[in-house]
Amino acid sequence: MSTTAGNGQVILKLDGVHTFYGTIEALKGITLEVHEGEVVTLIGANGAGKSTTLRSINGLNTPREGSIVFQGKNITRRPPHEIVQMGISQSPEGRRLFPHMTVLENLEMGAFQRKDRSGIREDLDRVYGLFPRLAERKGQRGGTLSGGEQQMCAIGRALMARPKLLMLDEPSMGLAPIFVEKIFEIIGEINSQGTTILLVEQNALMALDAAQRGYVLETGKVALTDDAKRLRENEQVRKTYLGEE
Amino acid sequence: MALIGLTTGAVYALVALGYTLVYGILQLINFAHGDVFALSGLFATTMIGGAVFGLTDTSTTLGVVGGLTATFVIAAVFGAAVNSSIEFVAYRRLRSAPRLAVLITAVGMSFIVQNISLAIYDVNARSIPPLISGHTVFNISGVVYTWDAFFVVLVTAPVLVLLTWLVKSTRQGKAMRATSQDPEAAAIMGINVNRTISFTFALAGALAGIGATLYLVEFNIRYDTGFTLGLIAFTAAVLGGIGNLTGAVLGAILIGMIQAFNEGLSWNAPGTAWTKSIVFGILIAILVFRPEGLLGERTPEGA
Ligand SMILES: Nc1ncnc2c1ncn2[C@@H]1O[C@H](COP(=O)(O)OP(=O)(O)OP(=O)(O)O)[C@@H](O)[C@H]1O
Ligand SMILES: [Mg+2]
Repeated sequence: MSTTAGNGQVILKLDGVHTFYGTIEALKGITLEVHEGEVVTLIGANGAGKSTTLRSINGLNTPREGSIVFQGKNITRRPPHEIVQMGISQSPEGRRLFPHMTVLENLEMGAFQRKDRSGIREDLDRVYGLFPRLAERKGQRGGTLSGGEQQMCAIGRALMARPKLLMLDEPSMGLAPIFVEKIFEIIGEINSQGTTILLVEQNALMALDAAQRGYVLETGKVALTDDAKRLRENEQVRKTYLGEE
Repeated sequence: MALIGLTTGAVYALVALGYTLVYGILQLINFAHGDVFALSGLFATTMIGGAVFGLTDTSTTLGVVGGLTATFVIAAVFGAAVNSSIEFVAYRRLRSAPRLAVLITAVGMSFIVQNISLAIYDVNARSIPPLISGHTVFNISGVVYTWDAFFVVLVTAPVLVLLTWLVKSTRQGKAMRATSQDPEAAAIMGINVNRTISFTFALAGALAGIGATLYLVEFNIRYDTGFTLGLIAFTAAVLGGIGNLTGAVLGAILIGMIQAFNEGLSWNAPGTAWTKSIVFGILIAILVFRPEGLLGERTPEGA
């Protein structure tokens, strides 16, 4: 299949995953893999099935067919809370902060399954280091944050789980261009600190710059997969997703 | 009079909290809750008066204290078991069903639980012997406040403190708050949402069990007692702002007071016959003019 920019072994593998919403087949046999240490991006038009892929992995939408294996364990039909425990966390589409909890409480919820108090403290400092704005707003309720602040809080909350695999669903959504740059910088930083990242993005240009490999989804199927650099050069991708002629 | 209102209000509060806890987590009005209250109360009568503890008004103080304490615990466990079973059997499969289907199921569960009470405990009202003295604690210008009434407040207060601590400060409480705000987000934080919902129903049921045992100290219970009492407690929960714990207690005490003043002031009040009309008049008025209740927040849905 594709070349591997990531150095490690396969950490996540989806094999022929079909996922439905009622009778609507949103994923029509998705096969993909993520290697340890990589940043892999899923790009594609609206409704292509990017978010549904993440929701199949995290257990919110159990696939009807196919399998999902994480670190050698089949997690296809495991409930979300067990999947978190195995080391997958995420910043979901729409951010989904707890609106009546403060920034600090939201961040603490990210560490719900952890017992190591000192480790949690460390990670809290790390998140505040990455997003100083969150430290300034730690007593403010999630629901009253600006869109960009909510995005930071959602990413920070996902980091608080100290995941092996971090899934980000459109982290640049609703952010001013300067913040978009900043977010991608932070994604690179998190990755260099050892976290594997599966990144869903509308902003294909930035995503392909940040990732080593990419998958292009089209109506529930993988249309194309390659090295991020080569996808960036691909005629088809440039026309459709990068808005270039 | 205000103190008598406080006593009635205390029982309403325990039941109202059950409505509000469940509503908070599932946006579901558990119409069977009042009937869980009645069934737990009936069960408690068999514990106290019947074969188990065999308490009578001549039992020793130690026997009464021990027997009552045990009854509170058993009634709480019983209420918890019944209520979480209802969730497991009926509501769990309807999580993503239309609101109307859930509503009808809840009304159906109410009839089912009521009929179970009727089948086991027939149509007769059950009571317990007067274990707590009806003697006066104090008497202010003809208004007497008795020990049995005081006892109700004495038990309710620590239960409310414990509940507040549980919801505010424990891991389980955090899971409940997160689930009530966004169940999917809670799930991807690693919270076991099904277990959290079961726990919430159990907690609500336990409060109903304790409330029912307290109710028995002053009144008797029949298979259908839960219907009216449940509606009154539900009104209290709506008055305070459904989903809001402090609101439920506040609403319950207010309704207890309204009832006490209405029934107790012989000179100018409409009297007992009108209490229900007044309470449900309040319910309708809140639903029309302030659906979010006293302490609730306005939501796009209006409740
Ligand atoms: N809850 C739902 N019920 C029914 N259909 C749904 C639901 N959620 C998503 N879908 C459908 O599944 C398909 C894939 O949706 P998905 O959200 O995965 O797309 P996406 O690639 O994330 O799109 P976007 O870029 O707009 O976020 C779409 O056709 C969508 O309409
Ligand atoms: Mg999406």
